[in-house]
Amino acid sequence: MESTSFIERILRGAALSLIVIFFLFPIFWILLMSFQTNEEILRIPPSLFFTPTLSNYAALITGKLATVSGTLDIAFMKNLWNSVLLSTASVAIALALGVPAAYAFARFKFRLGEDIAFTLLSFRFAPPLLVLLPLSLYFQALGLTDTYVGLIWVYQLIALPLILWIVRGYFEDISPDIEHAYRVAGHSWGRTFLRIAIPLARPGIAAAGLLAFIFCWNNFVFALILASADKQPVTVGALAFVTASGIQYGQIAAAIVLSVTPTLALALYAQRYLVEGLSLGAVKG
Amino acid sequence: MTAAAVKSHEAAPRRRKANLLPYFLSLPALLVCVGILIPFVTAIYYSLLRFRLNLPMLKGFIWFQNYIDFLTDATFWHTVRVSLLYTALTVGVELVFGLTIALLLQKPSRVNNVISVLLLLPLMTAPAIAALMWKLMTNPNFGVLSYFVQLLGVSNFKWASDPNTALFTVVLVDVWVYTPFIMILLLAGLRSLPQQPFEAAALDGVPRRFVFFRITLPMLMPYMVTAALFRLLDSIQQFDIIYPMTQGGPGDTLLVFQVRSYLEFYQYTNVGKSAALLIILWAITYALSNVFIKQWLRLRERARGLA
Amino acid sequence: MSDKAKDFFEAFKAGKMSRRELMAGAGKLGLSAAAANFLLNGAATRALAADFNWKKFSGEKLHLLLNKHPYADAMIADLANFKTLTGMDVTYDIFPEDVYFDKVTAALSSKSSQYDAFMTGAYMTWTYGPAGWIEDLNQWIKDPAKTNPNYNWDDVLPGLRASTAWNGVPGGELGSADAKQWCIPWGFELNSITYNRKMYDKVGVKPANNLPELVETAAKLTKDLGGPYGIGVRGSRSWATIHPGFLSGYANYGQKDFTVSDGKLKAAMNTPESKDYHKLWVKMIQESGPKNWSTYTWYQVGTDLGAGASATIFDADILGYFMDGGDNKEKGNLGFHAFAANPAAKAPTPNVWIWSLAMNAASKQKDAAWYFMQWASSTEHDMFGARKMDFVNPVRQSVWKDDEFRNRIEKSYNGYLQQYEASSPGARIYFTAQPLFFDVTTQWAETLQKMVAKQVPVDEGLDQLAASIDKQLKDAGLG
Repeated sequence: MESTSFIERILRGAALSLIVIFFLFPIFWILLMSFQTNEEILRIPPSLFFTPTLSNYAALITGKLATVSGTLDIAFMKNLWNSVLLSTASVAIALALGVPAAYAFARFKFRLGEDIAFTLLSFRFAPPLLVLLPLSLYFQALGLTDTYVGLIWVYQLIALPLILWIVRGYFEDISPDIEHAYRVAGHSWGRTFLRIAIPLARPGIAAAGLLAFIFCWNNFVFALILASADKQPVTVGALAFVTASGIQYGQIAAAIVLSVTPTLALALYAQRYLVEGLSLGAVKG
Repeated sequence: MTAAAVKSHEAAPRRRKANLLPYFLSLPALLVCVGILIPFVTAIYYSLLRFRLNLPMLKGFIWFQNYIDFLTDATFWHTVRVSLLYTALTVGVELVFGLTIALLLQKPSRVNNVISVLLLLPLMTAPAIAALMWKLMTNPNFGVLSYFVQLLGVSNFKWASDPNTALFTVVLVDVWVYTPFIMILLLAGLRSLPQQPFEAAALDGVPRRFVFFRITLPMLMPYMVTAALFRLLDSIQQFDIIYPMTQGGPGDTLLVFQVRSYLEFYQYTNVGKSAALLIILWAITYALSNVFIKQWLRLRERARGLA
Repeated sequence: MSDKAKDFFEAFKAGKMSRRELMAGAGKLGLSAAAANFLLNGAATRALAADFNWKKFSGEKLHLLLNKHPYADAMIADLANFKTLTGMDVTYDIFPEDVYFDKVTAALSSKSSQYDAFMTGAYMTWTYGPAGWIEDLNQWIKDPAKTNPNYNWDDVLPGLRASTAWNGVPGGELGSADAKQWCIPWGFELNSITYNRKMYDKVGVKPANNLPELVETAAKLTKDLGGPYGIGVRGSRSWATIHPGFLSGYANYGQKDFTVSDGKLKAAMNTPESKDYHKLWVKMIQESGPKNWSTYTWYQVGTDLGAGASATIFDADILGYFMDGGDNKEKGNLGFHAFAANPAAKAPTPNVWIWSLAMNAASKQKDAAWYFMQWASSTEHDMFGARKMDFVNPVRQSVWKDDEFRNRIEKSYNGYLQQYEASSPGARIYFTAQPLFFDVTTQWAETLQKMVAKQVPVDEGLDQLAASIDKQLKDAGLG
């Protein structure tokens, strides 16, 4: 952008600031709420000034929620752990299954290839409720109700199509020449795939994995219907602060902050892959 | 890409048609998903039944009666309309908005990269919980957004509670949550575009508007279609935002497919109707995605040609 | 617990020691007040043990499905006593109220034996019962071999016992002779007025005595307070909008949801009286209700009252109770008032919500589950919850006569007892029991929303509603 004029730079800066405010103000406000008591949050009109308290976080982390009628146990940290476990395992499995398949679709033209690819994407079409309705019955019969294995399996509906399509696009961007050269040098197909293709596609895989992770993390209906209380993710856990005696907004805000932190850390860590990795089947220069 | 590369790309590996390897690679993924899809067949069967859990004696096979009932019901067509309108609005606004942001952040710099990751924050807050917060922020008494709107002199803005502004409110939340998703896909696309056409255009002094519409946009199209496709799949099945914020109201203003079938199943225990509704939703989604994917395959070939 | 401490509490139970002596003595034994309360209830629980083999299922393990609610909290606080009494183990899954009933429907419809007993409301049993997911508890209540002699089922408020019993016939009268006891009342709420005494004093108004008065009072409050609005009621597109204040007032005008003749149901929301009632209600919301009314649920109605954003609510008495305590800004400022909406009515007719316990028909240890249910609904546990925890409103008459409980309420909750006493004689479920309950009430709420938003006039809206419901009844073979 050598030709950018001064005015244009100002305009761009202003536009960007507005965008950042639009997207981050609610997050900022939630962050503020997480340091307030419910009484401070429910002021008329809302105000920026308050005495910060760590009580919301303390309640979540120690698992003890002090109420008027005594101390209650809350399982938020357990919920957080479940989310980590479910999302990580689901994405790992989706990668193990999805990356080879994506490679196959990108590198080979085979009979029914596009049909299989489309079918895999079409799992995204199925409304979750449609699947859940009969699924609980099947899970019952298969003994998968209330197991992490069962949940991770269902989570593939979220993670697999996303990974497949993004990684496929990435493989298609990479010239197969290097793989060729390596094969010609006498290496097996498997070695070529592991040593050459996967490392080259690493940014795409990282980006797809991260997005899939976010979508798994945000899900709550699968675990709610298919598992018992001790396997619920944070999304369900945060709703525990909506109680008959009032909504504990401060704790919900703190719960959001705590539940966003791992994903944000992951995203910042994977930052450089994230943008570079999402090229979807267009051609690199 | 060099001519040789294109040639080899076309030639060698793609020719190995008889090979079983690609099947071996893709079938595990398929098998894992197919297991989950057995319930789908069950759901189709349910949709052909009069089947309400709390009226067990009425259970019976009725062929397509559930579907016929819906097709002749005005409120069903309202649901179709609202769902499509919601989808069109969210996908449309998010595409334009997401593209704008991606263009602003196009130049790779540390600041731009950090902003692009921070902008993902709304995507990371689960909509089911974010909706609780939006409900609080739009509360006329304690809500900070209501307060801002009042400062702007609009004293009677009712957000999700007024039939005229309810759609606006939930679309706003959807835009807030999902624009970053589109932004990050398009940003990746922009940054990976080949430089030669732009350099050539700059040398020839082609006006920037022309460059944008004739070079950038067409080359970015595959990304936009993919981004739109993924959003469309989620948007037409919207539940997480609308249900916690309005439960489909006020009146029947926001009674989209998933909200309606959720009520049919979990509240009314009408399995037959709920399943039929979801199958119709599935069919619509299938048809729409098919169009998008055809478009995507075509555009990709063209983009290949362009480069 | 040491034997010395145990003897000590037994002496109290046997009436050999006053409560004060007990507490003082407990202090000397090195027990905190909280521990003493718990042990005291342990003594009460042992009193239960007389003449009944509580240990019959010793070693069995029960699993419960619970809603995150103060009633569940009270039960959990006392649960160790049940375990000691019976030698059984009890585990539980607690789910947030927002998603609780989805979880119940999912668990029951899959015929899972995972949960032995669970919390429910009476309306839900109109689905669960006909679906065959729950048991008729009369089989246990009426069997002396299975129910301890001190259980005293008749002590449970008669209106609640009747409201949780239904013969399964659409339109069948609640509590009829052939009714099945689908669930055991556990704790309940009735609907009345809770108001902010400070705001009322400031404006110089008294709590309204009927709906026309309420419409005026609320309008005056809205106008004169300059900020807070006059009256909070629920408005979301859900059955929950219909069942509290709205239906209580509706019943007070002698109106019904359905007429039943020859076993056929007919929608009855479009009578002239009903139309007048709806007009008043809609006017009240338009003039002095919350701005975002159509998104209002239990939580918003309560939060606004507790935070001083509203002056009055016509909703559950215990919602007012919760808002008068805790860390709410208006804590201690609220007053309670029984309410008969119809100026011509003699007494209030509050509709009730009853948190109850039901038994999963797929459970593999029903007799053991009943042991838990009879303990959890016993006088002893009810008393413990009412005195020490927020187990309000208790369902047993004997608990309402307990001085300790009454004094606790009287001291901290202004006018609550008077409100309760005036309201409770008429308190029961005023809906017609039928399988389309949720369809009908959701649509009713939708119609109310359209009326308040002026999308449809009241008369026309109610005629359409009745016609649409009649059609659905016909389709389901009920009309």
